[in-house]
Amino acid sequence: MMERRTSRRSFMQQSAGLAALAAGVGGLSARAFADRSKELNILCWEGYNSAQVLDPFRESTGATVKAESLTNDPTMIDRLRAGETKVWDLINVNNPWARKVMFPEKLIKPLDRASMEPYFEKMLPMFKPPYKWAMDDSGKELLGMCQRFGPYSYVVNTDKISRKTAEDQGWDLFNDAANAGKYGILDSADWNVFNICVIAGFDPFKPRGEAEVAKFTETAKKVFKNAKVVGDIATMNQALIAGEIDFHMTGGTYSASPARADGHQNIRGITPLKGPLEGGKGGISWIEVTSTVNNPDLSPLAVEFLKHVQDPAVAHTVAFAEGTFNPVAQMANPDCFKLFTKDELDAIQWDSLDEEMARSVEYDVVPDYDKLLEIMNSAKREVSGG
Amino acid sequence: MAMLRQPGPRNAIPLMLLMLVGFAAPLLAVIGFSLVPARSFSLWQMPTLENYAGVFSGTNYISFVYSLVFAALTVIVLAVVCYPVALGLVRVFGKWSMFMSLLFTIPLFVSENVRLYGWVLFFIKNGVLLGTLKTIGIEPESWLFTQSIILFGMVYVYLPFMLFPMTLGISMVPKETRDAAFDLGATRWQVFREVDLPLSMPGITIGFLLSFVLAVGAIAEAKVLGGQRIIPVTHDIEIAFTYAQNWPMGSALSVLLMLVVGVLVLVVLRRFDLDTILGKK
Amino acid sequence: MTRSQSTIHGPILELRKLTRTFGALTAVNAIDLDIAEGEFFTIVGPSGSGKTTMLRMLAGMEQATSGDILLRGKRINDVPANRRPTCMVFQSLALFPHRTVGQNIEFPMKIRGVDPAKRKERALQLMRQLRLPENYYGKNVTKCSGGERQRVALARALAYDPEILFFDEPLSAIDYKLRKTLERELKDIHRETGKTFVYITHSLEEAMVMSDRIGVMQAGRLIQVGTPNQIYSTPTNRFVSEFIGDVNVIPVHIGPNGKLISDDFAAEFSVPKIPVGFTGGHLVVRPEFVRFLGSGDASENRLTGRVYNEYALGSRIQYQVRVGEAVFIVEKLRQQAYTGGLDDEVAIGWSGADSILVSD
Repeated sequence: MMERRTSRRSFMQQSAGLAALAAGVGGLSARAFADRSKELNILCWEGYNSAQVLDPFRESTGATVKAESLTNDPTMIDRLRAGETKVWDLINVNNPWARKVMFPEKLIKPLDRASMEPYFEKMLPMFKPPYKWAMDDSGKELLGMCQRFGPYSYVVNTDKISRKTAEDQGWDLFNDAANAGKYGILDSADWNVFNICVIAGFDPFKPRGEAEVAKFTETAKKVFKNAKVVGDIATMNQALIAGEIDFHMTGGTYSASPARADGHQNIRGITPLKGPLEGGKGGISWIEVTSTVNNPDLSPLAVEFLKHVQDPAVAHTVAFAEGTFNPVAQMANPDCFKLFTKDELDAIQWDSLDEEMARSVEYDVVPDYDKLLEIMNSAKREVSGG
Repeated sequence: MAMLRQPGPRNAIPLMLLMLVGFAAPLLAVIGFSLVPARSFSLWQMPTLENYAGVFSGTNYISFVYSLVFAALTVIVLAVVCYPVALGLVRVFGKWSMFMSLLFTIPLFVSENVRLYGWVLFFIKNGVLLGTLKTIGIEPESWLFTQSIILFGMVYVYLPFMLFPMTLGISMVPKETRDAAFDLGATRWQVFREVDLPLSMPGITIGFLLSFVLAVGAIAEAKVLGGQRIIPVTHDIEIAFTYAQNWPMGSALSVLLMLVVGVLVLVVLRRFDLDTILGKK
Repeated sequence: MTRSQSTIHGPILELRKLTRTFGALTAVNAIDLDIAEGEFFTIVGPSGSGKTTMLRMLAGMEQATSGDILLRGKRINDVPANRRPTCMVFQSLALFPHRTVGQNIEFPMKIRGVDPAKRKERALQLMRQLRLPENYYGKNVTKCSGGERQRVALARALAYDPEILFFDEPLSAIDYKLRKTLERELKDIHRETGKTFVYITHSLEEAMVMSDRIGVMQAGRLIQVGTPNQIYSTPTNRFVSEFIGDVNVIPVHIGPNGKLISDDFAAEFSVPKIPVGFTGGHLVVRPEFVRFLGSGDASENRLTGRVYNEYALGSRIQYQVRVGEAVFIVEKLRQQAYTGGLDDEVAIGWSGADSILVSD
C-alpha cells in the first residue's frame, strides 16, 4: 500500500515504453536536388523495379536509378496529376492511358519517332508500327514503347475444372450458383470492375444505361458474396494449389505464372471462347506502354533506358524479373526467343498465347469507372461477413 | 521572445518543429482533405461536409461497425484469455512476471504479415494442420477465410498489448492485501472480486484501451487470414486512398475513426480515472 | 505487574511440536506452547527468528510441516484462514486502498452478508471505540495518517469478531512517540474486548509494555516463556538477557578455590547460589543495579575503574566506566547522578542477589 505511488509511476513508465514500441518511429524523407544527368526515376508495375533489370543499367551508366512499383494504373496517373511530374522520368502503365488520358492531360511527352520506331519493327506482328496504343489520336506522335503483355481473364485449377469446360462455360462460371464458395477474387480494382461487367453480360468499355448499372450492382453483390476469398496474387495461387478454391476471377499469365513456374502446371489462365465484348469476344488483354513523363527537367537517361530494355537479353530478363512472368513483344526476335527455356515458355503459357490474345479485346478506359468502382466497393462492404 | 533566450526552450525548438512537421502537419492535411469535394487532389477549394455525409448515406458505415465490433470482441476474448495467464505469471514468477510477459512481445519483432502468413500455411487445406489430420483420416472443413479466424488473428496479434499491462496491474496488487481479505473471511472468489479485480483495474483498463485502439486499426488479419470476408474501416480508408483515388473520402473516414477512438479514450479515462482507481482522490 | 489476571482462563490455543521447514532451513522448530484465553501473548525475537512464519501458521496462511495447532482442543491445521475464528493485523496493515474507512471496517461483515444498516452501525461503534472521528467514515484510507490507519486496521479486524487477534509487528514503521501512544491504546482495547491477542515484535521494550506473557524466539525455537518480570529479572540465557537491553556481561568460570572468577578481572564474584554442575558461563548484571561506591562502602562485588563518559537518557543517566580493557555500563536516576569528574578513579559494585548467572 505504501509502495503505491512508486509502483504507479513505474507502471506508467513501462506502459509508455510499450506504447512507444507499438507506435514505432516514423521516418522523414527528403529529396535532394541534383544534376539529373545521372539520375533516373521510374514509376512502374513490378518487374522494372527489380535489381536484375536495373543493376546492369546502373553499372553501365553509373546512374542512380530509383523505381517505385504500384499495382494499379489510375493510382500511378493520379500521382502525376498530384504534381509528381517533377519527380518521375518514366511511367509504365497499361495501353489506353497514354493515348486517352496522359497525353491529352500533358502528363507525358512524345518520343522521337525516327530513333524509336525501328524497335517496333522487331516486335511480334500485333505491335507493328504505327501500333495504335503507342500513338496519339492523330497518329503523329509516338507516346511510348511496348514490352510486356498478356491475356487476363480468370485462372482455374485444371484438376478441378478442365480447360475445355472453363473455356466453354466462360464467365457464367461466376453466375453458376453451384460454384458459390468455390472461387476467389484477385483484388484488383479496375480489372474487377471489367470482370463484373462481363459477368453481368455487357461490355465495360462502352457507354451503358441504367439497366446495365442495376445489373452490375446486383452482379457485384452476388459475385463477392459467393467468393470464398478476396486477396492478392500470392493468396490466390496458394488457395488454388492447396485446394481451398477451384478457380479465381481476374487473372491470367501474369498472375498464374509464379505458380506454373513453381511446377504447378494445373494452375492455368483461361480465356473464354466467347462473351459480351466487342466482336463476341470473352477475354481482355493488357499491353504495357512505357512513356517519358512531361518532366520539366527530364533525365536524358529516360530514353536510354527505353532503348536498353529493347535489348534481347534485357527483354528476357524483364519477362522473367522477380514476381510475375510475362511474354514480351521482343520474343519475335529469334535472338530473344532462344533465351527462353521450355519451362519458361510453359510458365507463360506460350502454347496458347496467340489464340488467347486473339480471343481477347484490349484493356481500355471504362466510362463512368469511378461510379462503377464505388458501386463495387459498396457491394463488397454490404456483403462482407456474409 | 525572452523565453527563447533560455537554453531549455531554445534547445527544444528543433524537436518542437519536428513534432509540428511530423505529427501536426499530416494530421492537419488529413483534416483539410476531408473537407474538400470528393475525388479532388487539392486542398484549396470550398470546404464541404459532403464526405462526412457520404459515410453515413453510403455503405462506409458498415466497415466502421465491423471494425468496432471486431475490436470489441477482440478485447473481450483477450480479457478472458489474458487474465488467467497474467495471474499465473504473477503467482509463478513473482517479480519476474513483468519480464516473462515481455517475452510475449518478442513476436512483435517479426512483421505482422509474416506471422499471419505463417498461420495461413498452418490452417490452409493440406497445410500443417489439415494435412496432418488428413494423414490420420480426418478431413474437417478449412477454417481459413472465415470471420472467426479473423478474430483469432486479432486476438493473436494484440495479445501482448493486453497481457503486459494486465500483468503489471495484477503484480501491483500487494500479496498482504489479498491475504488480509482471505483472513477476514472472504472466499477465493470474493478475494478476486473485492481485491484483485479493483486493484488490478489500472492495468486492465490500460490493456483494454491499448488493445481496443490497436484492434480498431487492424487490417491485415481480415485481409490475410480472412480473405476479405469483412472489410474493416482501415481497409476502406486504404481503398479510398489507392484504388478509388478518393482522398477526401479516405480523409473523412480517417478523421471519423480518430474521433471515435479519441472520444472513447477520453470517456474511459474519465470514468476510470487512474488516480481514482488507485485511491489518490 | 500489570497482568489482567482476571481474564485468563484455560488454553485457547495449543501448539504441539509445531514445525515448518523451507528446504534445508527449519524456520520454526518443534514449538510447544499454550496460550491462555484472554491473554496478551507476545512473541519477540530478532528478524529471521521464525516468529512471522509461526504467526502465519497460526493464522492459517502457512501450512505446518509437522506438529499440531489446537484451538480449544480441536486440531485446526487444515482449516484455511478464511474459516478460522482468528484475524491478523499485518505489518503493512494491508488496508484496501480503493475503499473508504467505513468500507474497510465493514469488509468482514459485508463478506458475511450482514445487513448494510447494521454494518454501518457496528462500524461507527468501532470507530468511536478506536477514537476515529465519525466523519472519517467516508474518507479514503490512503488519505489517513499512519496512526489513523492503524486504528482502521484494528477496527477492521475487530469487525470480524475473532476469538484471537494476531498482530504482525504493526507498529514497527511508526515513530517513537506515536508508537508509545498506540501501544497503550492497544493494551486498553485488549482490556475492553477481553479477546486473546497474539502479538509479534522484534522490540522487547514494546513487548514489556503490553504483554501478559512473552515468548522469546531464537533460530526457530522458543527459548524462554514468561511474564515480562520473569524475562527481565531471570533470563535463562545470555541471548535473552542481552535482548532486553544494555547489560554488563562478564565471562566467568569456577576457579581452583571453588569461587567464580573471570580471566578479564582480578576479582572474585559473588552470587547467591552456583547451580550444580556449573563450570563456566556468563555473569549478567543490569546497569541500574551497579552502584558507585564511596570509600567506606562495602559491596559483595567490587571493581575499580575510571569514568570515561556519560550519556543523558531523559530521567536517567548512563555512564561508561572502563575497568582495564573492559567497559561497564552504569545507569542512575538523575537524582542519584555521579558527582565526580571524568577520568576520576571510581569503585563500582553490586549486590550478589542482582547478579544473574547463565551457563552459555
